Amino acid sequence: MELKIIFHDEGVFIFCILVPLGYPLLYSYIYVTELMRDVPVTVIDDSKTALSREFIRNLDASQWIKVVGYSDNIPDARQHIKEQQTYGFFRIPSDFSNRIVKGEQVSVGLYSDMSAMLYYKGMFIGATDVSLDMNKKIKIERAGKATDEDEKMVVSPIKSREVALFNPQQGFASFLIPAILVLVIQQTLLLGIGMAGGTAAEKGEYSELVATSRRNRGTLHIIFGRAFAYFSIYAVQAAFMVCVVPKLFGLTQLSQGLDLMLFLIPYLLSCIFFSMALSILMRNREMSILVFVFTSVPLLFVSGISWPGSAVPPFWKGVSWLFPSTFGINGFVRINTMGATISQVAVEWRALWLQAVAYFVLAYMSCRTIIYRERRKDKTELREPFM
Amino acid sequence: MRNPNHSFLKCFWAVFYRECRRMCSRPIYFYCIIGAPLFCLIFFTSLMHQGLPHDLPIGVVDLDNSSNSRTIIRTLDAMDLLKVEEVYHSQSEARDAVQRNKIYGFISIPSGFSASLQAFRRPTVTYYTSYALLVPGSLTYGAMRKAVELVSGAAVRSQLLARGATENQALGFIQPIVIEPHATFNPTLNYSIYLCNTLIPGVMMLLISLMTVYSIGSEVKFNTARYWLEKGNHSILLSLGAKELPYTLAFFAIGFFCDYYLYGVMKFPSNGGFLPMLFLTLCMVLAAQALGIIFFSLIPTLRLALSMSCLWGVVSFSICGFTFPEIAMNGPVQALSYLFPLRHYYLIYASQTLDGNSMIYSWSSYMFLFIFILLPFIFMMRLKRELIHSFYIP
Repeated sequence: MELKIIFHDEGVFIFCILVPLGYPLLYSYIYVTELMRDVPVTVIDDSKTALSREFIRNLDASQWIKVVGYSDNIPDARQHIKEQQTYGFFRIPSDFSNRIVKGEQVSVGLYSDMSAMLYYKGMFIGATDVSLDMNKKIKIERAGKATDEDEKMVVSPIKSREVALFNPQQGFASFLIPAILVLVIQQTLLLGIGMAGGTAAEKGEYSELVATSRRNRGTLHIIFGRAFAYFSIYAVQAAFMVCVVPKLFGLTQLSQGLDLMLFLIPYLLSCIFFSMALSILMRNREMSILVFVFTSVPLLFVSGISWPGSAVPPFWKGVSWLFPSTFGINGFVRINTMGATISQVAVEWRALWLQAVAYFVLAYMSCRTIIYRERRKDKTELREPFM
Repeated sequence: MRNPNHSFLKCFWAVFYRECRRMCSRPIYFYCIIGAPLFCLIFFTSLMHQGLPHDLPIGVVDLDNSSNSRTIIRTLDAMDLLKVEEVYHSQSEARDAVQRNKIYGFISIPSGFSASLQAFRRPTVTYYTSYALLVPGSLTYGAMRKAVELVSGAAVRSQLLARGATENQALGFIQPIVIEPHATFNPTLNYSIYLCNTLIPGVMMLLISLMTVYSIGSEVKFNTARYWLEKGNHSILLSLGAKELPYTLAFFAIGFFCDYYLYGVMKFPSNGGFLPMLFLTLCMVLAAQALGIIFFSLIPTLRLALSMSCLWGVVSFSICGFTFPEIAMNGPVQALSYLFPLRHYYLIYASQTLDGNSMIYSWSSYMFLFIFILLPFIFMMRLKRELIHSFYIP
């Protein structure tokens, strides 16, 4: 019966079938370029020497930065930013070469527009890489005169090396898309089931539910029947998101198929029961859209994806535990992107089962309430006109 | 049809009053107009009250266990950004902790580190970072690298100073060129300033266009559209204007409060003055309302128009380019972004409020917002036809 509702109600159809199929593709397409390369900048070259020109050439050659022109002074460079032609500028002091030759330290100013963090990050990484490269060369030239190992030792006694464990190219899509996929599952279920519940409340179709309950003698049947309908649809959707979307856009995926499946089962169940429990509050069809849509943004932030989980205040952390998406996103990202096994996400896995059980009880109780209310209404044969 | 005896003001007031009563009649209006925006305001500002996150947990794999390796650990722990959560005995143990989300990354000090250091063999320490979570990943990497440079630099400096070099020479020797970053108008890299100023208006715009669609669509749904037009003397402009004005006022008041809270109480940088900012807030409210009207005129079915507004509102967070910049996106996506008012809002905010440029520099973005605000007038006749002729099909 529920399957019939899903396919015949265009509103529910949109949210349960089309959105989960379309959104991942849309988002992946927006972020498919992954990286912010070539931030356009200008340079104020007060030194105008071979060394400073070499520095500028290296900046331009870096994948993060593109030097689009020279500026004479700071106001001039700021003007370019105002006109949105550039997002920052570098300032090379007039004594740049002199100081290097004299063996003194010289600092190059980096001025970045802060309207987006990635501009700053790109400029800073690019410039730091260039300066480290040039430093090495300068040091080698100097060491050439000193020629002993002792001198090299003095320059940098500890060498360092970075190993990026996961998402090594620092791609934006690889980082955000998995979280969005998981969130889309919960939000569309909330909207879809909420809408179905609202429609039933609106049309007074709960009586149909009641009739079913008499025939089958049990609220349990209704709940399991409905849950199974959504579960079977979302199992396909989840498989599409987890297997097809990342392949299509070449995102990192280190996961074991079995672990993912094991993890997604409790997630889907807890989302379905969670939505069923809340759908009792929906008085009419459209309400679920008005109520739930805006929560996507706070939920994404509180899950620890955009904002580090360790910096989330305890109060909000507690609130976030009420939502399946918090554990879902956390566990999924670690399995998918970091290649964790199911035992390493045991905390989240158990929490999801716990939620599934708790929300099942809630859904059961809400369903009982509805049936009880409807029966009383039937008895008195009083039909309130609905708004 | 039109009754010339009804004065404009009288009709306007009648529709206006009717809408206010409708707004007070159901809790969903309070939820969307007051509850949701204020919740987001409180939520985002308190969530990111640290500005730049600090005490991110990291691990150390100390295979050397010497006073030198402990110096590194102490230095790491002393950094504002970092907190050494645990010292592990092997890399696989630490990697496991990363996968369990206990730590965001770790640093590995090889065995024989102290011995090689004393023998001038230049030992290597390795940072293991994870960019599965982008923000903590890049922050921990930067801080770990800085900590090791500090330890290494301190050793060299004392050696050079002992040999009779001046402070300046020593620095010039260690690092001939340094980059001195100036993050204009947000020197502490405060994420709250960077994100809240666009997230909160984004949520508001989403809610405004949803409410606009709902306010018009519910008339069709409950078959009261004709009654509504009658009250408005059969003039669609008058009816619609008087109907939407209460929402404009309510949302503008909420927007005003958000501005006051962000720039007055939280002291976020506001270099463009208060009046231009209020003007921007007003444009934002009107553009979002216009978007709602456009959607309902094009798709005069309540749930489809609402779904459309959702899609628009949610996608605008990504496509407006404040997290992932516009210039890095594909060409077609860049072109699409012009259709999202939040994109223009963000550009104006960045130029006018953050950088303190005069309004003239954002004229093109303002122009796009004005186009959004004016567009519904084209659809007026179509909307009227739909309102009179359409019935609610469940």
